[in-house]
Amino acid sequence: MKVLARPIAPGRASAIATVSRVPFSFVGGADPVTGRILDRSTDAAGTKLAGRTFAFPHGKGSTVGSYVLYGLVKRGRGPASIVNARAEAIVAVGAVLAGIPMVDGVDVAGLRTGDRVIVDADRGFVDLPDVRAVPVVTAILRNAGRILLVRRSGRVGSFRGRWSAVSGYLEGHEDTRDRARREIREETGITRARFRGTAPAIIARVGTTAYVVHPFLFDVPTRRVRLDWENVESQWIRVDDLGKYATVPRLADVVAAVTA
Amino acid sequence: MDLSRAQAALLERGTPAQRKAMRILVALGEMNGARDLVPVTSAHVSGASYKLIGDPGLEFLEDFARDARVVVPTTVNPLGTDLRQWRALGIPRSFAEKQRRIARAYERMGVRPTYSCVPYELGVRPGLGDHVAWSESNAVCFANSVLGARTNREGGPSALAAAIVGATPNYGLHTSGGRRPTVVVRVTTRPRGFDYSLLGLVAGERVGDGLPYFRGFRASEADLKWLGAALASSGSCGMFHLAGVTPEAAGVRTRGLPTIRVTRADLRDAQRSYTNGKDPDVIALGSPQLSSDELRAIARLVDRKEPRIPVWVFTSRAAREANPGAVRSIESRGGVVLADTCLEVTLLEHRFGTVATPSGKGAYYLPSLCRQKVVLDDIEALLERYA
Repeated sequence: MKVLARPIAPGRASAIATVSRVPFSFVGGADPVTGRILDRSTDAAGTKLAGRTFAFPHGKGSTVGSYVLYGLVKRGRGPASIVNARAEAIVAVGAVLAGIPMVDGVDVAGLRTGDRVIVDADRGFVDLPDVRAVPVVTAILRNAGRILLVRRSGRVGSFRGRWSAVSGYLEGHEDTRDRARREIREETGITRARFRGTAPAIIARVGTTAYVVHPFLFDVPTRRVRLDWENVESQWIRVDDLGKYATVPRLADVVAAVTA
Repeated sequence: MDLSRAQAALLERGTPAQRKAMRILVALGEMNGARDLVPVTSAHVSGASYKLIGDPGLEFLEDFARDARVVVPTTVNPLGTDLRQWRALGIPRSFAEKQRRIARAYERMGVRPTYSCVPYELGVRPGLGDHVAWSESNAVCFANSVLGARTNREGGPSALAAAIVGATPNYGLHTSGGRRPTVVVRVTTRPRGFDYSLLGLVAGERVGDGLPYFRGFRASEADLKWLGAALASSGSCGMFHLAGVTPEAAGVRTRGLPTIRVTRADLRDAQRSYTNGKDPDVIALGSPQLSSDELRAIARLVDRKEPRIPVWVFTSRAAREANPGAVRSIESRGGVVLADTCLEVTLLEHRFGTVATPSGKGAYYLPSLCRQKVVLDDIEALLERYA
């Protein structure tokens, strides 16, 4: 799987990933001498940063973190590269000082500790050679404050019986928004959908498969839905009720990305 | 981001320090949507106290000083102790030694050894519209608001990078659009002296990272120093306007902005909520460092009435040396006048558990940075109570 990323600090590195789901402070979060992760909220506490690709949403805490990162890398105890969802100054400056490649704009929740990761900050991508990417579009349809969920039929290839939003596989290099419109027509019969927004891809991991979900939001003028063979029922729900449904992976994040 | 030919050359073929400095500026510029790098006339660097930056900061600065040289006039923030008085203060030798190495590293880079958080009181006064790269939040707020110079809230390393390159990413407060107010703060009471610290704390809490437009009072430059310092502590403001006073207030539109009201009761509430101690061990004045005028005013106050608990004053080296009489007055009444350091970056917590101060910035940071308790009050009231 190869995803685009924004270069922050130059360079290229191939390494095994250590992933934290929560923001990270290099002051207090890691031992400045050994590079052992101390922060227990990371699910990586006790492991060492040395030589790893360290992926976390974004930095936080004291600005001295830049110097801690510098010192760790200088002594060979620091990460080989950094991947963030959203870079901020402390970690960005630290990566530059340390001379390690760093990118951001990557949905780090789609990475797993142990993944082999190539970070290329010169050309602006992250590559996971052992993970198969399945690019899809997901269209959140909205009408008067409710969004449409559809339940996937037994005849589709994945997530049978789960609740989903209108979605479909991307083929070749087609335009993602065009594909989203086509899926809306096919799966709901609605032809007048107004584009309201999109967001960076959400990566839904199932083992070594990564569904790279391009999220879209459309406003539609009707709640009348004509399902095709892919789905067996539909419901217009409040966003707050999403948690009550057994959905496809990360649907809540997809909804949040375009409705926030 | 567009780089000039000279900047591109620094990035590709500069010294290691120049290349690193350029990479910092490019990374921060790209992250923040800067069009280009804008030349700066001065830089002010934070991150000089060993208490705050510790061994990691010392290590980086010594490595960097091997070939880094600043190309614009550059001043630097207070140290973690007064290196001419550390023994008498009971500072551990290892702390003083490492602090000295940090100072030497900055001096090797060509940084002026001001060790002050008030460069604007030491003759560094960029003019209206001048671009500078300053860190130290109170100095940033003062430069933008009172002087009309233009700087973002730089971090220590980014201000140092700007000093080495002579330019900084052009976004935010460097652009006219970034200097427009986002909220009107109508003050319904007439602040005096200590009230400016309280007003800054209240406004900072309410506006967060917004850009406030104050109206309803007049203020001197000294008043605005204390207002801005507190505002930039409880909020992350890099600038404010004050109607009829600050140089850019007249040219901005406030129609349609949300309005916040601050009353006398709000100021009293802030004083109560930032006071979490009683029976202070010391009265500490600084944060930011006192000016010559402020130093002399304190000397007059302690001359009138001898305090029961020591008065510690933080000021710049220049102000301390220019006012030997005031220093003598304070010291003869059990006080201490420290230069080159400041209230919350200095090593003080090993001696005093509870600090009384009129500084809003001090009251904001002492509990977290120094794990000290605070009594926040007017200096005259404090001297009255503890005399």
